[in-house]
Amino acid sequence: MRRLPDSAGRAAGRAGTHWVLPVAVLLLLFALPLRVQASFPLVMKDDRGVSVRLDASPRRVVSLAPNLTEIVFLLGREDLLVGVTRFCNYPARAAALPRVGGIVDPDVERIVAADPDLVLCTTDGNPKERVRVLEAMGIPCFAVGPQNLAAVFHTIERIGKLLGVPGKGRREAESLRARAERVSREKRTPSPRVLFVVSTSPIIAAGNGTFLDELVRIPGGRNAAGRFAGRYPRLSVEDLIAAGPDIILVAGMTGVEGFSPDVSRWAEVPAFRNGDVVTLDGDLVTRPGPRMVAALEGVAKVFSAWRERRAASPVGERGSTR
Amino acid sequence: MRNRAIVFLLLASSFAGAVVLSLSVGPLPVTLGQVFRILSGGSADGAGETAMRVVLTLRLPRALLGALVGGALSSSGVAFQALLRNPLADPYILGVSGGAAVGAMTARLLLPGDSFLSLPLCAFLGAALAASVVFVLARRRSGVSRERLILMGVIVGAFLNALIMMMVALAPPGRIPGAVYWLMGDLSLGTLGRVGLLAPYVAAGVVILFLLSRGMDLLLLGDEAAFQSGLPVERVKTVVYLTASLLAGSVVAFSGLIGFVGLIVPHGARSIVGSGHRRLLPAAFLLGGTFLILADVLARTAGPSGELPVGAVTALSGAPFFLYLLRRNGGKP
Repeated sequence: MRRLPDSAGRAAGRAGTHWVLPVAVLLLLFALPLRVQASFPLVMKDDRGVSVRLDASPRRVVSLAPNLTEIVFLLGREDLLVGVTRFCNYPARAAALPRVGGIVDPDVERIVAADPDLVLCTTDGNPKERVRVLEAMGIPCFAVGPQNLAAVFHTIERIGKLLGVPGKGRREAESLRARAERVSREKRTPSPRVLFVVSTSPIIAAGNGTFLDELVRIPGGRNAAGRFAGRYPRLSVEDLIAAGPDIILVAGMTGVEGFSPDVSRWAEVPAFRNGDVVTLDGDLVTRPGPRMVAALEGVAKVFSAWRERRAASPVGERGSTR
Repeated sequence: MRNRAIVFLLLASSFAGAVVLSLSVGPLPVTLGQVFRILSGGSADGAGETAMRVVLTLRLPRALLGALVGGALSSSGVAFQALLRNPLADPYILGVSGGAAVGAMTARLLLPGDSFLSLPLCAFLGAALAASVVFVLARRRSGVSRERLILMGVIVGAFLNALIMMMVALAPPGRIPGAVYWLMGDLSLGTLGRVGLLAPYVAAGVVILFLLSRGMDLLLLGDEAAFQSGLPVERVKTVVYLTASLLAGSVVAFSGLIGFVGLIVPHGARSIVGSGHRRLLPAAFLLGGTFLILADVLARTAGPSGELPVGAVTALSGAPFFLYLLRRNGGKP
């Protein structure tokens, strides 16, 4: 009596699972190219042009920059992190991880003590010599230095492969790419003249070829500091008046305050006249990581608010005295 | 005598020329005619109100600040070179610069919010404190010896420089640029209010030094000789030291550390009017003011990537000119 349902169940189970094996084989076949990519040993060229070789999927990873830490979290591999910098504050849990120094002053001894089998570092922030010391000790170091948003997305894909989650890397990069794409397809006219400053006293603006320049251009802005040579030109008050930005974006950081009244009383500058000075989260706009897309969407929002107000009162916007 | 009058006329007119040039040059186009109309109290028609406000509230204060700072640094340099009998002396040699820098960095790092006024004040306090410490350390019952002054100045300076490095290393990144630009010399903080605040200090300092001209002439001969010609040597040395230090300190407070002017302009002036201080001091003041105004014009306009640090422009543009001036004179310093 008791056996009946049992055996019936087993029979039903057998009857119900006979398709599992062929499907599993099929799935495996589909997954094969994926697995080949993620398989180790893996050799990949980093942004220095160095071929970095990983014999097995890394189990202990040190990140030497906040943007790289954010990428590791984005990929869901934060369990691998055994060391980050003292600037790694996002997501909040990153701040609780063991620290191995700063960006320009990573502590080689602490890194070695953390016993990593992969160090993620940057080409332009971390000192090359210290990275070389780590490599001489047999620790694989993968250095990245994305110079634009497209390169950031590509970096996410590559780190996904390094950490053994190529599929996740590709999906995250794809969704970020789609969000950036969406911003670039929004309404782009009229095009505001935009000054993106990283310091208000002295006034230091982002010039051509910077990430901030890209954040201004993708949503249809014109960089008001574009005529200057150099990546971060320093502007006098008169330069600022001559540039005449419609919008001033401020990368908010510790020590960066608003403009002094001596500067902001120049009503010749449309941004001052109309109150279009917006402070954005400095971490968002200066870290070449996943959240740069959020920064881009924030900038686009500022632009569209400006466009709406301009459309509502075109005369008031153009009035030169107030 | 007439020769001398012509020299001073030339110096004064090049000074005036530098002021006018600096008023008419900048990113916004303003013509010379407009400058003269604005200066004569009329309104600048055509370019309108903006041009007038740019000239009066941006360029004029900078030119005046440049004149005061350049003049004061040169006068202070003349005084230090006489006091220490050393052609390598400049206003910063005895710890004034380090003291001012530490004061300014402290203001920049510790005082939150609007540090536009607190920075000059802290820089001045730092300079005054450093100068007094050096003086007290160098003093003995027999008086103040040059060697001890230089030695104490160098030690205190080294200590303060180390403090600055510590502050830069430990500061949060966002607070650094302002402080670093200030350390490289910066006239962009010039407003009419600040010029008005600085002018009495500079005037008092320069007048006191001028009144001590003969004393400085005698100091150059050495303490012994000066004493024998009836000079109250120790008192003169004390007053010259304190005046020149406070002159430099008050100027540094508003403009940051502008090098080269206080060291080289005195030599240039000496090669034009000789080493008698009654003529040397006014000549150095005019030459220093002219030179710094012109350097600032370059700093404002010549850089392809915005404003250049005027403290670097002074040496870059000044070195060749003063080399020429000094070599023409057979190389005597």
